[in-house]
Amino acid sequence: MTAVQPEPRRLLASFTVASREGVERLALRRVSRALPPELLSGEQQERLQTAVAEATMNAIEHGNRGVARVPVQIQVFHSPGEVVVSISDQGGAPAEVKGPEPDLELKLIGEQPPRGWGLFLIRHMVDQMDVTTDGARHTVWLTMRTGAGA
Amino acid sequence: MADAIVTMEARRLDERTSVVDISGEVTSSCEPALMAAYEAAGGPRAQRLILNFSGLEYMNSGGIGMLVTLLVRAKRQHQQLAAYGLSQHYRQIFELTRLDEVIAIFDDEPAALAGAGRP
Repeated sequence: MTAVQPEPRRLLASFTVASREGVERLALRRVSRALPPELLSGEQQERLQTAVAEATMNAIEHGNRGVARVPVQIQVFHSPGEVVVSISDQGGAPAEVKGPEPDLELKLIGEQPPRGWGLFLIRHMVDQMDVTTDGARHTVWLTMRTGAGA
Repeated sequence: MADAIVTMEARRLDERTSVVDISGEVTSSCEPALMAAYEAAGGPRAQRLILNFSGLEYMNSGGIGMLVTLLVRAKRQHQQLAAYGLSQHYRQIFELTRLDEVIAIFDDEPAALAGAGRP
């Protein structure tokens, strides 16, 4: 009797973008092009695109501190039941600066700044978000479930 | 690549009501364009400001922050804000961020005009 091996994670795309404001729009388009259309519904595609754009902006602004020559690496994987996008910068482990959840009421009365929605959006757009750090390499993993698990 | 491609044009429908037609990519870099459109729409004199998102291609968290800045200004002037033309995806984002509780959302311009007087 032969044991059934799980299908390995397949790399669909791997690319880098320079750490410049605005390249997140290129990143989301390239991720979208890498995904076979049958994997995610239209709504899932849009949610993943928003999460990829926000995570890429964070990698540029907070990870690589806007230094254009330091690249952000983006990889797209598919394995049965899920699509995973990884976004890596060179910022190392971020300092513990976990602020409060954005609260519109507090923003409207000036007790929180108007911005600061990025991480909140990422968390709500994808099925799972994980963060790993390996030396200077800091990676955000965005997972969308496919098929029956979606 | 840094500058988002966006146009924001104000239409004054009457002394109290104006529409801002937004097309393209809404990010934090659009703030000068939005504030210019706000002034062209009557600034603090307009009582009702309706944002037309029918031409919206992309909006990020910076764009949401910019809308919050506009809301702060509108709230200070006791102005009502409404919006129409949002895709399902951006409606979902307005719900998540609770922007839909302070910006009344409508399907189209006639509905927004009819409902713009509502709180």
